[in-house]
Amino acid sequence: MLLVNGLTKRYGDLLALDDVGFGVEPGQIVGFLGPNGAGKTTTMRAIMRLVALDAGEVTWSGAPVDPTIRQRFGYMPAERGMYPKMRVRDHLVYYAQLSGLDTTTAGRTTDDWLERLGLADRGDDPIEALSSGNQQRVQSALALLDEPDLLVLDEPFSGLDPIAVDMLSDVLREQVERGAALLLSSHQLDLVADVCSAVVIVDRGRVVLRGDVAELRASSPTRLVQVEFASATAWQPDAPSEVSDDGRRHRVSVAAGTDPNGLITDAHSRGDVVAYSFAPPDLSEVFLGVVGRETLDDPERVMAEEVER
Amino acid sequence: MSRSDTDLPGTVGVIRLVATRELTERLRSKSFFILTGLLVVGILAIGGISRFTGDDGPDALEVGIRGQASEELRNAITATAARVGRDVTVTGVADARAALEDFGFDVVVVVGPRQVLTSGAIDDQVLAIIQQGWATAAIADGLAQLGISPEQAQAVLRPEPLEPVSLDGDDGGELDGLVVLTGTFAAILLFISLQMFGSYVLQGVVEEKSTAVIEVLLVRARPDQLLAGKVLGIGIAALIQFFVAVVAALVSLVISGAEVPSEIWSAVPMTLLWFLTGYAFYSTLFALAGSLVSRQEDAQAASAPILTVLIGAYMLVFVFGYIPDSTASTVMSLIPPIAPLLMPMRMAAGAASVVEVLVALAGLLLSTFLVWKLAGRIFEQVLLRRGSRVSWADALALARRR
Repeated sequence: MLLVNGLTKRYGDLLALDDVGFGVEPGQIVGFLGPNGAGKTTTMRAIMRLVALDAGEVTWSGAPVDPTIRQRFGYMPAERGMYPKMRVRDHLVYYAQLSGLDTTTAGRTTDDWLERLGLADRGDDPIEALSSGNQQRVQSALALLDEPDLLVLDEPFSGLDPIAVDMLSDVLREQVERGAALLLSSHQLDLVADVCSAVVIVDRGRVVLRGDVAELRASSPTRLVQVEFASATAWQPDAPSEVSDDGRRHRVSVAAGTDPNGLITDAHSRGDVVAYSFAPPDLSEVFLGVVGRETLDDPERVMAEEVER
Repeated sequence: MSRSDTDLPGTVGVIRLVATRELTERLRSKSFFILTGLLVVGILAIGGISRFTGDDGPDALEVGIRGQASEELRNAITATAARVGRDVTVTGVADARAALEDFGFDVVVVVGPRQVLTSGAIDDQVLAIIQQGWATAAIADGLAQLGISPEQAQAVLRPEPLEPVSLDGDDGGELDGLVVLTGTFAAILLFISLQMFGSYVLQGVVEEKSTAVIEVLLVRARPDQLLAGKVLGIGIAALIQFFVAVVAALVSLVISGAEVPSEIWSAVPMTLLWFLTGYAFYSTLFALAGSLVSRQEDAQAASAPILTVLIGAYMLVFVFGYIPDSTASTVMSLIPPIAPLLMPMRMAAGAASVVEVLVALAGLLLSTFLVWKLAGRIFEQVLLRRGSRVSWADALALARRR
């Protein structure tokens, strides 16, 4: 398994990583979440040995990651990392060969992946002729080509349409089923929470939450009651609440131990209720509860990370 | 699919893969073919132009003879002219003035009053040819009157000529036109190739940085392996173009009507050798420049110092290449960045000693090695850096810090 322990990285005055630690086991998809600038990319690059750390270590099966171990890691950077003018198939075969596959195997594997990602007829096109969504697919294929033991994917879903998100999710689940360990990052907490069995949430270079998604949500001290009225209704329950612009949907935050029945009954007395729910909060709300603010991107840190890395 | 560590491509394997990719991509690009085509057309055009406008050495000398001329005078003038490498036609004329002014004769010998007429000032060499011919003919005439047969007279009058030999191996100060042409051709070709393929390396490195390909590559290969593969692959593309250009240059020489000098056959491999070493030196520097920037727009600025040195070295060829024996030229040709451009010219002129060539080569190879080591150090620190350009001063400081 992958173990990340005590990673610390300083860029000038900025503490980009502050004692970051977590693990990813084979067969597990871990979501690495947090606002832009939180240190996700730096951590992932550190795992791939692309960043010189000030402190901390990264191990795989107990051994420090060296170039030989790293050959068994697949990496997808946040930016598109491909030669724009190179043909799609050539690009994949080239990378497969760099990864150690012989010419025949590299060709066969490439064709399999092009087929699987629905790009079989685009093999002879230059990368730059592809739509950004399709470029993203090729980029993910680069990371997956040689069936690595560990996949480190930085924002794999960004820029994908919902169909492509589903397709990639299926491909990633297959990888995990064959025994790969997978770490993927996103700055949209709720988008990928359902793909991941566990999450690590970072903020300002520190891990602020870590664990099983369902458990994290369940352990939240609050529950969310959502009530939808047939028409705009004035209702002021005795708890923090929000109302949608049309006045029909109300969200009320209550303590985890609260019995929701009283609240629902109260709502009924105000107007015509068409739907209601009572559930643990989303990850972003869990984050808000822990950090005391929303998962806002941090422009200053984003800048520092961009320039220095 | 299971693999063992032994399947991993070693350094040689990685370099081969990277080089193959660079070569393939280069041979596929339109710009490579267009530039090579332009180069060939340009070289052929030089040959074509020089055929129609160039001078093929001094024109044939037209000599008129006015008055009673012996066959011996005609033969003597022709033979004397041939000895200094000039064609000559000797024709009897009735009117000396008309011959000079209307019929384009260079010189008319008037036998009776023993005069040589020209329309302008007389050329020393032409005068010497005529005087020598005249003297020979007069002596032959005298010998015949003494009863010596024409065959015996020939033996006396046409001795084997002296062969000019210089103690310092120099056969005569003035540079042969063809040697200058060959050396200049080599310098131009070297400059164009170094500049063009150097900028391919530059753009290649910047492309990898600007598109973040470098991140994906660096998890599979070391920076020095990537650099070696890139320089090698583009270098092979350069060699292909170089050969095409050399063939075009030979064809161009034939078109120009000049004789293909035997020196060419040693000049070609020599130029090639200097190209290879010069390319290794300059392309590594260009790669280093590329590693300092993240955008193609900044590439020109980062490579400006290297380009300045290259252009400066090229311009020095036209100053010191034509005085290849001078001390200044000798010293200049030993300086590594200048050597690949200036030394071929000095070698073509026969002015460079073997020791000088070896010293220049050794110096160039040593500096290439040092630049290579420096690049390796700087690469590791700047390849993954994004954002603004790293200055050369900062880069050197980075290299020193480690």
